[in-house]
Amino acid sequence: MTAVAGGERRVEHVMGMPVIVDLRDDDVPSSAIDEVFAWLHLVDARFSTYKADSEICRIDRDELSAEDAHPDVRAVLAQCERLRGETHGYFDVRAGTDGRLDPSGLVKGWSVDRAALVLDAAGARNYAVNAGGDIRVRGGALPERTWRVGIQHPRERDHIAAVVVTDDLAVATSGAYERGEHVIDPHTRLAPAGVLSVTITGSDLATADAYATTAFAMGPQGAVWTQSLSGYEAMTILADGRVLTTPGFPAGD
Amino acid sequence: MNRALTATIGLAAIGLPTANAFAAAEAGAATAAAAKKVVVTRKFTGPTAQADQWGTVQINVTVRKTTSTVNGHKKVTRKIVDIGGSFSYHTDRSQYIMSQSLPMLRQAALQAQSANVDTISGATYTSDAFKQSLQAALLKAQQS
Repeated sequence: MTAVAGGERRVEHVMGMPVIVDLRDDDVPSSAIDEVFAWLHLVDARFSTYKADSEICRIDRDELSAEDAHPDVRAVLAQCERLRGETHGYFDVRAGTDGRLDPSGLVKGWSVDRAALVLDAAGARNYAVNAGGDIRVRGGALPERTWRVGIQHPRERDHIAAVVVTDDLAVATSGAYERGEHVIDPHTRLAPAGVLSVTITGSDLATADAYATTAFAMGPQGAVWTQSLSGYEAMTILADGRVLTTPGFPAGD
Repeated sequence: MNRALTATIGLAAIGLPTANAFAAAEAGAATAAAAKKVVVTRKFTGPTAQADQWGTVQINVTVRKTTSTVNGHKKVTRKIVDIGGSFSYHTDRSQYIMSQSLPMLRQAALQAQSANVDTISGATYTSDAFKQSLQAALLKAQQS
C-alpha cells in the first residue's frame, strides 16, 4: 500500500462506509474522482435509511409514493423486487428486524456500478472501486496488467483466504465477521449457521452483492444454490473449514 | 440448470489456508538474503486526526528498512511490521466504534501487504481519520 506507480487514490467515508477509488491511469483528470464521490454523496442523500429527509425514509413513512420517487429510486426498488423473486425471498428489502424499507444491500453495489461508468466515460481503463469490501475493478493495478483481489479470511483476521485475479470483474463478499451478524435469514429471522462467508464474482456488483447476501442467508444450502446462477461464480467458506467453489471461480495463486 | 461445484466428495473442495502457510512462505523469503544487509526498524507516528463525530485517531507504523548491497548496487526495501494507534472518544457508542475499528484497520493494512494483493473483499472497514494519520506516518517512513 506504500508504492503507487501513478494515477491517484482517494478514500472518503460515504454511505456509512469507507469507499476507496484507486485510479491508475495517469492521463485521466482528478475531476473524474471528484465526480465519483459527488455521485456517491448524491446517492447517500437520496437512499439513506438514516437521513429522515431521504426519499427512502419518506417512502417508508408513506409521505412519498414510490411512483413519484426519482427514476433511480424506482429503478432500484424494481430491481430489489425482481431479486426478491429470484432469490425465493432471501433478498428482501424489508428483512430487517424492524421491518423498515432498507434497500442498502442493493444500493451499495448499484451505486458502484454507476461510479464505474463515470470513470469509463472519463477515459479510465485501469481502476478499482472498493466500497466497504465490495469491489469493481477494470484493467490492472498498473504496472501490473491485472488486479489481485484478496478475499478476507473469515477466521484469521490478518490473512486472506483466496486471491481473485482479474482485469474486469465485480467481487462481493458477505460474512458474519464483518460488522457483527448483520445478515439474517428473513424466513427464520436468525443469523445463518454453518457458513462463514460467501464471495460472488460477476459483471454487475449490485447483483453479485445481492447473490452473496442471499447465499449467505441460506446457510450451507447456499453453496448448492450458487450452482444455479448464470454468469456469476461463487466461493463459500463453511464453518468446518471447507471451501466450495463453482467451476469458473477465478481464483489465482 | 445446475453446474457442478469443484468437489471431490460431495461439496468438499479445498481446505481453508491457515496462518502457518503464510508464515512459512515469509520465512522462506527471508532466508534468500543478499550479500550485505543493514536492517533498521523504526516507529513513525502520524498526526492526530478527527474521525467524524467519534473522536480522534493517531496511528503509528513500525517499518523495517532493509538496505542490501550487491556488487556495489544498493537496494532499499521497507516493510510495515506493525501498525498501532490510540484514540479518544466521548460516548460509549464512539468508544465501541473506535475499539472495533482500530484492530480491524490494523489487520486490513498488514494483510494487504503480506498477501501481496491490491485490494480486499470482505472486511475493509476503514475511516478517513485512520487513513490520514496512517498515510502521514508512512510518508515519514518513506523519507527516513
